[in-house]
Amino acid sequence: MIERIREIAGKILRDANIFIGYERGFDAIHATPLFVRKEEDLKRLIWDPTCVHNLASYLPYMKERCGVLVKGCDSRAIVQYLQEGLIKREDVVIVGVPCRGVVDVKAVMRKTGYRPILNASFRNGRLVLRTDEAEKELVMEEALQGKCRRCLYPTPLLYDHLVSESILSDKDPDSVYADILELEGRTCEDRLSFWKRELSRCIRCYACRNACPMCICRDSCIAETREPKWVTQRSNLQEKFMFHMIHALHLAGRCVECGECERACPMEIPLLTIRRKVNLEMKRLFDYEAGIRPDERPPMYTFKVEEESIRDPEI
Amino acid sequence: MRGRFLLRKERLGEALRSFQAKGYAVFLPYLEGETVLFLPYDGRREPFLEWPSTLPPKSILFPQSETLFYFHRTKKDGKVRVELEEVAPSQQILIFGSRPCDAKGFSTFDKVFVGDHPKDPYYMERRLKTTIFSLTCPFPTPSCFCLSVGLEPDGKEGSDIIATQIDEGLYVEILTEKGERLMEGINLEDGASFEGEVQMRIERTKRLIRRPFDPKDRIQVGIFEQEEFWKEAVSKCISCGLCTYLCPTCYCFNITDEAALDRGERIRSWDSCMFYHYTLEASGHNPRPTKFDRFKNRVGHKFLFFPERYEGSISCTGCGRCVRFCPVSVDIAEIVRRLKEAR
Amino acid sequence: MKRNPYLPELATVIEVVEETPNIKSLRVVFNDKEVMEQFSFEPGQVGQISVFGYGEATFVINSPPTRKDYLQFTVMKVGEVTTAIHELKAGDEVGVRAPLGNFFPYERMKGRDILFIGGGIGLAPLRTLILFMLDNRSQYGDITILYGARTPPDLCFKSDLEEWARREDVKLILTVDNPYPGWVGRVGLVPNVLRELEPKAEGKVAITCGPPIMIKFTLKALLDLGFREEDIVTTLERRMKCGVGLCGRCNIGPKYVCKDGPVFSYAELKGLPFEL
Repeated sequence: MIERIREIAGKILRDANIFIGYERGFDAIHATPLFVRKEEDLKRLIWDPTCVHNLASYLPYMKERCGVLVKGCDSRAIVQYLQEGLIKREDVVIVGVPCRGVVDVKAVMRKTGYRPILNASFRNGRLVLRTDEAEKELVMEEALQGKCRRCLYPTPLLYDHLVSESILSDKDPDSVYADILELEGRTCEDRLSFWKRELSRCIRCYACRNACPMCICRDSCIAETREPKWVTQRSNLQEKFMFHMIHALHLAGRCVECGECERACPMEIPLLTIRRKVNLEMKRLFDYEAGIRPDERPPMYTFKVEEESIRDPEI
Repeated sequence: MRGRFLLRKERLGEALRSFQAKGYAVFLPYLEGETVLFLPYDGRREPFLEWPSTLPPKSILFPQSETLFYFHRTKKDGKVRVELEEVAPSQQILIFGSRPCDAKGFSTFDKVFVGDHPKDPYYMERRLKTTIFSLTCPFPTPSCFCLSVGLEPDGKEGSDIIATQIDEGLYVEILTEKGERLMEGINLEDGASFEGEVQMRIERTKRLIRRPFDPKDRIQVGIFEQEEFWKEAVSKCISCGLCTYLCPTCYCFNITDEAALDRGERIRSWDSCMFYHYTLEASGHNPRPTKFDRFKNRVGHKFLFFPERYEGSISCTGCGRCVRFCPVSVDIAEIVRRLKEAR
Repeated sequence: MKRNPYLPELATVIEVVEETPNIKSLRVVFNDKEVMEQFSFEPGQVGQISVFGYGEATFVINSPPTRKDYLQFTVMKVGEVTTAIHELKAGDEVGVRAPLGNFFPYERMKGRDILFIGGGIGLAPLRTLILFMLDNRSQYGDITILYGARTPPDLCFKSDLEEWARREDVKLILTVDNPYPGWVGRVGLVPNVLRELEPKAEGKVAITCGPPIMIKFTLKALLDLGFREEDIVTTLERRMKCGVGLCGRCNIGPKYVCKDGPVFSYAELKGLPFEL
């Protein structure tokens, strides 16, 4: 499959200036984005379950036409960009790669005792890792990211080239929000103490914000501006709550659940859960899911005097 | 008394309790969910000493936000009058379970906030009252490279006590007066017989640490100044700032006034050279407008500018946090390696 | 310097002078009489003015050390703090942290001819040195001031300009960027006018300040005209917070603009990263 990717990337390079793919990072379990500009760099491209990053996030900032390698979840970001007019379809050549899941790298590092990983190989649905101490075998299910266990879109939704045969999801669509429903079932006090505990670890590093494909305000983010000043520089729970609530609400009807926010968070705060809760509400109110069809309009972008699913109070 | 001792495993709990009883505010690494963080001592929990914390202990002496002073504005005869109130000093602090790279981070902070002029009274006040009890590294993390910046897994710089975890407990080496004072009255045995084993463990750790470059090699200014080099190396950076927040030696801060009506405080908070508005001037002009400029400045600061100001001291401890926590795995060690490679 | 370098000294505004539609000069006196009496500084040094609740901003101490009835800071309204400063009235209290930074090396300028080149509010730090030199006139050679702004209303320190135009021992050349109704003087960007004037570099010291782009082209023009690198002096601006070399942000390479600057010679800037 990697040969096919390199071949397609090579073709794209002759027409666009850059191809964004993955290469091996600092060790066997870490991949890293690669911006290929020269043919001689094509051989550095890789494809395996360590390719966790959402490469579509770079697209709104690319000043030139480029090719990009995307998984199913990543492709939803591209669809959402098209819905919001953030990129032009003709500026990107989409190379879709059907995917059976990517690893939770931090979890894998913990499972191998946080020691240097000398070798990692994927064989027969297993991830085999070798450290100086031992060889550890993990069943892929154990090693996958949470989002992959619920994945409904293993094959990219939009592409110019598809690298291999489509994969259909074997997950029950009704069970996708099971964990959110469980949280909803808890008492308010319970939920508050849960989120207080989780969000108190936040250090407002803004990794979640910058890793998010849909967060494009970047340097003008309301979390840092002083005119208007919504959040202060104090590092206490109120400010952290405020930042995260603003962030989640700004993503309402836009979050494609790619999970980069949660993956980027060094404090392992379950950020994706907050956004998925908002997405569930969007589904209930507007029957809308972000990043599925390029011709749809995000509900928060439209205004209707009378909304079908929202009952106005009688005046 | 200086020297090498054994603190039996069974005695660690009682030692921690007695530190607290002596009046130290004790901080140790605990597992919070899946994250290892330095938190105030909690006798009911087991400290987590297996691998380094996510956030280095710098936040204990250099809090993410702290008040410099309070102000209160009043209007008298239509004129605004101001009162200022300074902040009170702190108590004795014990940081237990830091790694040599964390302790070296404090040593870097000390050069700027205590060793230079003027001194930072807020940091200095806490630092003078802080004792640092570090643990050597039983093995490196996947991204460590301390040997490349002249540090070692049993490095002593910045610590008052350094201890190695062995089966019997902790092999403790008391390095300073502060360390002596801390350990007064603690039940210790002679540690000489364990020296050999400790040495062996350290050597084994050293063999596992990657060495992308040598501390003696110089950065080639020609490559450092090449725009193309940074455009290629930094394309994937998403300019989030996480690397600076998790870095034991990053000390940049912001000063802002936070007020509600007539009362408020001037606070200082962590800032990052990777943020766009770090150098953004009110006129809208920004001397470092792109992430390439900022990353180049970051590497320059750590490996060129800081050593120039502070007698060759590199502002990087090789802890590898910035590498393994970076959302896109930007590897600063790899970039520095390429900068140092002779052409 | 107090033990706590972040704690400002309280001062009271005694006068606010309107220089241009968006530039005001603030004149302050320390509340503590002893502090005011003992306060000393060199031309070129800066201060951080606090408007509590809004923040602090850096300005050159615009009045010369030879005239100490008050400290003057000239402020252009561009952001949060400067807008708050523009709202101040006589009698209001502010905070001052000064003096900070280094100063113009006037000692080695003694006996030599001086060429000042200013643009817009860049005249503010130059004014300090000009007044200082005029108060010690016999110690310096010819003094020429080339000053330009975008439009005539943007010219700062109009009363000083009038005085300097009148004086026989100072040569003043004014210019505006583009033709303007009612303006009969020179027209042209400062670096271009500089080239037109063809000043002789021999033995002269050139001191320039203005917007970053103007400094960039003026430095180039001075080098082309043959000025020696040690004799080209400028004073730079950066976003500043601590003002004492601790917070890290105002660096150009290993130098901090708040501590090793803001005054730099071209010889010093040459070895640093080119970040204007």
